[in-house]
Amino acid sequence: MKLLTCPMNGTRPLSEFVFGGEYRQAPDQDTCTDAEWAAYVHNRSGAPGDKKEWWYHSPSGTWFIAERNTLTDKVTRTYLLGQNNTTQEEGK
Amino acid sequence: MQQFDVKSIIQTSPVAHAQPRDSAKWEVINGMDTAVEFASTAIEDARKKVLGVADVSCLSRYGVKGPNATQWLLERGIAIPTTPNSWTICEQKTLVLRLGSSEFLIEDQLGGSACTRLASDATRVASVYKVPRADAAFIVSGSEALNLFSELCSLDLREKSLATKDLIMTQVAGISATVIRQTLNGEPVYRVWCDGTYGPYMWEVLIEIATELGGGAVGLAQYQNS
Amino acid sequence: MIFRTPKQAGEWVNRTKKINFTFEGEAFSAFEGDTISSALWAAGQKVLGRSFKYHRARGVLSLANHDVNVLVTDGIDTNIRADVVEVKEGMVLTAVNTSGGVKKDKNSYIDSISPLLPVGFYYKAFHTPRRLFPFWESVIRKAAGLGIVNFDYPRILKRKTHSHCDVLVIGAGPTGLTAACAAAEAGLEVTIVDENRQLGGSLGYNRAGDSSVVSQLDILLAKAANMPNIKVMAGAYAAGYYPDHLIPVVSDSGINKVRAKAVIVASGAFEQPPVFRYNDLPGVMLGSAVQRLIYRYAVKPFNNGIVVTANDYGYRVALDLLQAGTKIAALVDMRQTGSAAYSAVLAKRGVKVYIGHCVYEAIASSDKSGVRGAVICAYDEKQNIALTDNKFTLECDGVAMSAGWAPAGALLYQAGTGMQFDYDVEQFVPSRLPNGMFAAGKVNGVFELEQRVRDGVRAANDAIRHLGLQAPQNEAEKHVGISPSHPYPMVPHPKGKNFVDFDEDIQIKDFVNAAKEGFDNIELMKRFTTVGMGPSQGKHSNMNAIRILAKIRDLPVEKIGTTTSRPFFHPTPIGHLGGRGFHSHRLTSLHDWHQANGAVFTDIGAWKRAAYYPAAGQSKEDAIQTEALAVRKTAGIIDGSSFGKIEIHGPDAALFLERFFTGVYTDQKVGSCRYVMLLDESGVVVDDGIASRLADDLFYLSIGTSNAAAVYREMQRSQQMWQLNLGLVNVTGAFGAINIAGPAAREILSTLTDLDLSYESFPMSSVRESQVAAVETRMIRVAFVADNGYELHAPMGQIPYLWNALIAAGKKHALRPFGSDTQRLLRLEMGHAMPGVDTDGLTNPFEIGAEWAIKMSKPYFIGQRSLTILAKRPLRKQLVPFVLAENYTGEMPMDCNLVVDGRDILGRVTSISYSKYLDRCIGFAYVTPSKKEAGSVFQIRVDSGALVAATVIRTPFIKTLKGA
Repeated sequence: MKLLTCPMNGTRPLSEFVFGGEYRQAPDQDTCTDAEWAAYVHNRSGAPGDKKEWWYHSPSGTWFIAERNTLTDKVTRTYLLGQNNTTQEEGK
Repeated sequence: MQQFDVKSIIQTSPVAHAQPRDSAKWEVINGMDTAVEFASTAIEDARKKVLGVADVSCLSRYGVKGPNATQWLLERGIAIPTTPNSWTICEQKTLVLRLGSSEFLIEDQLGGSACTRLASDATRVASVYKVPRADAAFIVSGSEALNLFSELCSLDLREKSLATKDLIMTQVAGISATVIRQTLNGEPVYRVWCDGTYGPYMWEVLIEIATELGGGAVGLAQYQNS
Repeated sequence: MIFRTPKQAGEWVNRTKKINFTFEGEAFSAFEGDTISSALWAAGQKVLGRSFKYHRARGVLSLANHDVNVLVTDGIDTNIRADVVEVKEGMVLTAVNTSGGVKKDKNSYIDSISPLLPVGFYYKAFHTPRRLFPFWESVIRKAAGLGIVNFDYPRILKRKTHSHCDVLVIGAGPTGLTAACAAAEAGLEVTIVDENRQLGGSLGYNRAGDSSVVSQLDILLAKAANMPNIKVMAGAYAAGYYPDHLIPVVSDSGINKVRAKAVIVASGAFEQPPVFRYNDLPGVMLGSAVQRLIYRYAVKPFNNGIVVTANDYGYRVALDLLQAGTKIAALVDMRQTGSAAYSAVLAKRGVKVYIGHCVYEAIASSDKSGVRGAVICAYDEKQNIALTDNKFTLECDGVAMSAGWAPAGALLYQAGTGMQFDYDVEQFVPSRLPNGMFAAGKVNGVFELEQRVRDGVRAANDAIRHLGLQAPQNEAEKHVGISPSHPYPMVPHPKGKNFVDFDEDIQIKDFVNAAKEGFDNIELMKRFTTVGMGPSQGKHSNMNAIRILAKIRDLPVEKIGTTTSRPFFHPTPIGHLGGRGFHSHRLTSLHDWHQANGAVFTDIGAWKRAAYYPAAGQSKEDAIQTEALAVRKTAGIIDGSSFGKIEIHGPDAALFLERFFTGVYTDQKVGSCRYVMLLDESGVVVDDGIASRLADDLFYLSIGTSNAAAVYREMQRSQQMWQLNLGLVNVTGAFGAINIAGPAAREILSTLTDLDLSYESFPMSSVRESQVAAVETRMIRVAFVADNGYELHAPMGQIPYLWNALIAAGKKHALRPFGSDTQRLLRLEMGHAMPGVDTDGLTNPFEIGAEWAIKMSKPYFIGQRSLTILAKRPLRKQLVPFVLAENYTGEMPMDCNLVVDGRDILGRVTSISYSKYLDRCIGFAYVTPSKKEAGSVFQIRVDSGALVAATVIRTPFIKTLKGA
């Protein structure tokens, strides 16, 4: 089973986590067009590559961001939202 | 109107549903009906050495969280574990668990009074939020304890990996739980807390495996003098 | 006749302990430590099993856990691998897949009709006419098969445990043992696993007649045993590779999931048979099987043998045979070059060596139970032709065969190792290893003993450095000299029966035919011929299959590639995989009470909830209607402790709710309750609930049971994004809840509390904190199941006390407990649509008429922007309450029955129930918006296809239909 490193709780098996979807910046809902909003809500880029993702560590209730390459399934770093200046390497 | 007295409310251990009502000896401790003896002292002693599981849900607990929780506790004389996800002991052997960085679980041991004191403090302070607790809590002791956890938890709980003051929030038997390793009466034991509503399930699982491994249920009496 | 050798150094059998057992009704004796096969072979029993398809007699092939034609049944246990399973006192064994016993298997006639059963036969022959397929299927299943599963097999739960180490070494041969010691000497925590019950691998048996290597093994074993940081798992196999170095290790006692920081694969290689006619007869076996028989079990493989080889290994085997006292009729070397050095040694021992020759075919004994000779002829290795002009026959009672090796690389493949074909060793070797994975020894293409030992050290050093410690970087070992494997050890024969895959009786011509049919890709060929699909999973056949396909297609081997390796590496019992089932569940503090009062429980989310309380002999339907009537006429009480309960503390609590839910909360008065509805970003309804304002900076939220954890999780995520000044506290488990409802609810409650319960001072949709039966309680007046309803929230541990007080107080009002199934009916009677029941993953609030719950003029809430888009569009469907005709007695529509108009589908029924109180069938359904007005009639198509008319009415049903 894959390991994932929670920035608060350390490296844990994937079974302790819930996937929260890709982290995406919503367009400004007051200024964007209907089409832009609909694209944000309904479209996802399935192209493999580096993605920012939401992950939730269930036992502690911690949401964090993981930067993962969806082609290699390699997580380069994880951090709490807004605290992405620290680099956390995935457990070896 | 009928008369009721809060003092007459006797709670039952959240684990009790899974425990033998008739063959165990029960006693009310901290207002909670608790199994204090499952078998003779000799048998329980032996179990404790191999793999003993005791229900200590009746210990008093107090939970608090929020950005100012640390400050609030310090002002009330509670020692604070210095790092997130660690624990410490303050007066009267009271356990202070730091869950993440800004949430705390205080647990009095038998005879302790910190939780009662904290609970009676009605002052409301900004960014300090009380967390009502209804935990099922267990002591797992004995030489086979790690063998038991190897089946219930995928983490390495050996001494070399779980440092003395480490606290981990993980999954035990598939449910969220908090685990520490502690020395009680000179013996290393594991302490486990989970949501009380999972208590009977957790007890059943712990006892099933403990029994297979040559241990079993241990009454609270075994820990009443510690 | 007893085929035991004198004592062998390092033998695994204990000659002082005799074991008695029976095989096919005949009594046998063995030594402790014998496998079933070795004991039988020692006793002269040659036919040990029958093949899967043609029911041909089979004996020992590998003695290395690949002898899948020798599966036996012992009582309720079947498919026991006789070649490796230790024989035990009192075993009563029979061979699987025979009709009338292994010696006289009645199904052996299939062998004689084998020309009628070409490859792919089953796929083609029995599908026309289709109706006959079940008949043929049953015939085929009876004839071709493994052991018969005993349905009385007890449920044996094996443990699934976890362990952790720095370095996991897979394979405890000389390479693995050396690697383990080197890693342990660097202070690392090492686990070494080997499928054999004794360590040592080939160092224990590959002796070339010289048993002095045993002392080398003893030294290595002693060294490993003295290292406290080496943990040995013998008799256990590393069954697969999972990400981040998680390796399930399977043994009799269960599965141990080892999480390693580095993995050294030193799993060795599987010996591969040369392919010639009748290479499957009992008595024809791999060279390494000969060695295992001799040195592990002190069994003489045969008296007068022929060794056929396509590498130097066969010469070593010949020396081992001589040492065991076997006469060697000839050594046949398929290579033109032969081996000068070894030939000289053998010549000195009087063994006749035929260079550039092959075994053209083995000759079966008259009863086909063994081999009585072999036809030998010259062999053109380059052209792959048997030159039969001068063929001759030699008598023998056994043939040892060696041709080469296939790496035991399953775990390397599973881990994503890049493999390339190395022509120096004629084998696939790792070329690009994943991070933290290392390979050493034969699996790495290194065969000479000294080199393997060095390769073990090299791999250990690589692992040590990988883990951040200092270690030298050794040069990689490279095989020099003659290849240990032959590129094409296949002898064609016009009559075939030259077996490539012993599991499935696949011959060379089957591959040719498969390619002719177009299945000339290795993965397709595997499926069509079934090569590698038997119990041994191609361990002795895949490499030859690849070589044959390469020849057919005239491509180099590496262009053919390999089939995909997947866990598990070896068959693993279901009981192991299942393990102890962990089925977590949550119980409320009233669970004992529900049980004592006859509740039937239902699983809702993680919870066990009381669904209803049937009286003795009462049906579910009756019980529910009785409970519902009590709520309508007197009072009912339900345990709602499983509801989601969340506190939102802090100055921004109201703001948070306004952003999270659709309604307005900043102006909500303390002591009042408001409906909350959660949407997702696309405007789909997710859940709903009630927010009670307990203080300016404290809201108490109660939501449905099944979605509670997910809603709390989303609240946490939103808070992390919004960073408002508040704290979320999930009190779902800490607080219990009781709902008491019905005309008498208020009166019952009034006997337990001082609180003024008059409708003026405690109106609908308000919250009060007060003592009820001395319990500090949050009381919420809701109309979910009845107009007069009170939800009482209190600490979970005090709920039973409160409940008992209410039950006692309610006695004279005929207060009755009701369960969650009854609650579903009651809320329907009240006309409440439930998210997740009456909505699905596409439902927006407009479709359920929830515009009233949405405040579009707020600056922001989740889903708001999508609603502005949806609001501009015409509605496609509308949820409406409906009734069936009075006294309707036809077929009852069900949830999900369609609402139709001719051939058009207009919608579907989401909830429907008969209500005894209303004496009507009521429900919710989606219809086209044109049918949404009260009085509209639409048609429901029930399961039988009949149409049932339904009429839209207004809710609450109880008011519309009963004026209540």
